Amino acid sequence: MLLLLLQFLQLSFILPMAMQTVYLKKHEGNAHNFVGTLSSAASAPWWSAFGSQSVHQGESCGQMKPFALELPNCIDQLAATKLSARGAEQVLGEGHTTQFTIFPDGCKMSDDAQKLQTTISLQSSLTDPHSRFEIGFSQPMLCAKYPYTDQFYGLFSAYAPQISGRIMLPLNMSSDDGPIYVNAKQYHGIIRRRQSRAKAVLDHKLTKRCKPYMHESRHLHAMRRPRGSGGRFLNTRSSINGNGKLGNEVHKTVGEQLQSSDSQSSEFLQSEVGTLNSSKETNGSSPNISGSEVTSMYSRGGLDSFSLNHLGSAVHSFANMIDGGRGMIIPPKWVAAAGNCYNLKV
Amino acid sequence: MVDNVGGSSSNAENSGIREQDRLLPIANVGRIMKQILPPNAKISKESKETMQECVSEFISFVTSEASEKCRKERRKTVNGDDICWALGSLGFDDYAEPLRRYLQRYRELEVDRGNSPPKRE
Repeated sequence: MLLLLLQFLQLSFILPMAMQTVYLKKHEGNAHNFVGTLSSAASAPWWSAFGSQSVHQGESCGQMKPFALELPNCIDQLAATKLSARGAEQVLGEGHTTQFTIFPDGCKMSDDAQKLQTTISLQSSLTDPHSRFEIGFSQPMLCAKYPYTDQFYGLFSAYAPQISGRIMLPLNMSSDDGPIYVNAKQYHGIIRRRQSRAKAVLDHKLTKRCKPYMHESRHLHAMRRPRGSGGRFLNTRSSINGNGKLGNEVHKTVGEQLQSSDSQSSEFLQSEVGTLNSSKETNGSSPNISGSEVTSMYSRGGLDSFSLNHLGSAVHSFANMIDGGRGMIIPPKWVAAAGNCYNLKV
Repeated sequence: MVDNVGGSSSNAENSGIREQDRLLPIANVGRIMKQILPPNAKISKESKETMQECVSEFISFVTSEASEKCRKERRKTVNGDDICWALGSLGFDDYAEPLRRYLQRYRELEVDRGNSPPKRE
């Protein structure tokens, strides 16, 4: 799971940070409690990390908690944005890029009463915000030339997350590697995906206990078939050697090659008997795998190498057996690993 | 042509998310990975499984963002515009713009064929 989070981190770092977070504002309006818990939970490590800016962080946390004050703050931000944007447009003709670093700093430091005055004073001095950013932030700021509308939205995105568009995830799931900072736009999506994944794991465990087979009619048919010693079905050789051989080419799983008519239910039942039976099935059916793979390669016309397809189908057949017989014991994350264990035994 | 090698068919009776419902077929993932590589390159099974996990999670991530937008607007169908919007709102703007152009050409092609879905190449 951490690998996926790191994958998103890499993607978010590589992509240029275009700021379009009016929708993020809507998210904050709807889920204000989330933002409140965020700022209260994450403020302590930020104070320890940035000693010189602890007062400003406290001010911004105080501003975020009451919901009624957000609307006048937005109105004031609109006015401040227009003034600072016009000033930036004038300076851009001269070729300076330092001007963009004023925007997030101005949003954090200004109060309700002194908002306009501080932005004007910040525009007059260019060196002070640059030095502050060098001290405060370890991550490099991506400064680029934005059009007017993007500058307008950029201030909103810089105001809420408080550190250059990064929000820290909750520590209960990522405590092994310390805090993980993700893109502010993706924070709610990641939290939502975590909840749905946890719910899916519970649903998976519940359904595996109820139904060891997939089709009711096939299960009833398999129960009526005669069985020999050890619980295996009788007359399987004659069905493969007769007309069933053409039918086997259509199916592509190991269990379906042994029993052409009722493959899935009998596969689940036989896998419950024990490990020896499943290993015997694998040994007995390995020539059939290679035969079907050659047929599928020719019909598909693919350029895949033979050995990769062979191993891939073997792992899938192991996964089907393990899902059928041991769904309660093995979590779904480790199905591939358990398949590898069976592969080692063979 | 059966694309899912080694997978079994899904059934409506067995509700819940299973392995083959949560992940993309690994043969298709390997084939897409092979398209970008030289002809003599090899791809290990571990690479395919890792990429299978990543792309499946990414699809669920973007789809849940689009589904959340449809839930707020009280719509039941997630269409292509919602996916493009979701990519933009999650910060993947470089992917959203090519996908909008693809979606535009797809719709033009669909109109030319008389509202029949185009065949895959």
